[in-house]
Amino acid sequence: MTEIGVQNSAAGAEDVELVARLRAGDEKAFEALVTRHYATMLAVARTYVKTRAVAEEVVQEAWLGLLQSLDRFQGRSSLKTWILAILVNKAKTRAVGEARTVPFASLAREADEPAVEPERFRGPHDAFPGHWRSYPANWGASAEVAAEDHETLRVTMRAIAELPPAQQTVIRMRDVEGYSSDEVCAALDVSAANQRVLLHRARSRVRAALEAHLDG
Amino acid sequence: MAEHISCQEVIELVTDYLERALPSEEASLFEQHINFCDGCEWYLDQMRATVAAVGRIEEEEVPPETRDKLLTAFRHWKRT
Repeated sequence: MTEIGVQNSAAGAEDVELVARLRAGDEKAFEALVTRHYATMLAVARTYVKTRAVAEEVVQEAWLGLLQSLDRFQGRSSLKTWILAILVNKAKTRAVGEARTVPFASLAREADEPAVEPERFRGPHDAFPGHWRSYPANWGASAEVAAEDHETLRVTMRAIAELPPAQQTVIRMRDVEGYSSDEVCAALDVSAANQRVLLHRARSRVRAALEAHLDG
Repeated sequence: MAEHISCQEVIELVTDYLERALPSEEASLFEQHINFCDGCEWYLDQMRATVAAVGRIEEEEVPPETRDKLLTAFRHWKRT
């Protein structure tokens, strides 16, 4: 299970305690763990198999696999890295024979998409080509406050849900779950540069959705 | 290498900058631009605020049948 371990950070005290609770049969702890990782696991599985139904099966298989090997967890990697490694193993096994549908194939097209509409910048014949026609708003401290706001979180979640699968997977892993870029690249078989392109497109689209919401 | 970069170029470099993936020369041009351009400074702040907002989203529901299936598996596992 260590093939993913590019630069595994060891399990922290929190992970050690959680694993102890699981071994003791704490159902609430298990349910919370499943809930925390489910959406991201599903997104990762979807990059390997064709349908959502099969991806859901892969995620279930991964949890069963995790339970089977829980007694062997030694905390050399963090729990989330370990869960991801099990998931990717299951997904790869399932993807054999079922030609991978590589959503990353659409990468080049996605890469052409500008982060901000070109109309918001001065044209080539202007005195200052490529400069803002009018500045984006200074969110300042209000952004911090707004991020606590329920409606803002709902807008954020909807924007993420509407992203193309590859972008959604990367922004979830990086910004929701806190995986390192190395872990994302290893799990998705994607280069560091392509990972950044996907992250950039994803963050840019979510920013645009927040801008429409906050400044609207 | 150009002596300066436009706002339109800056916004496409924001993620590479935040990821510390820009070559040092480009990173300097980026920072010089941010230092004199309020619009791009605010844009960079907006992207940072976006990352923070994404980090605060609530978990989606696990489909009930999946949750039940996994909890059943967990109870069996506990007994063995």
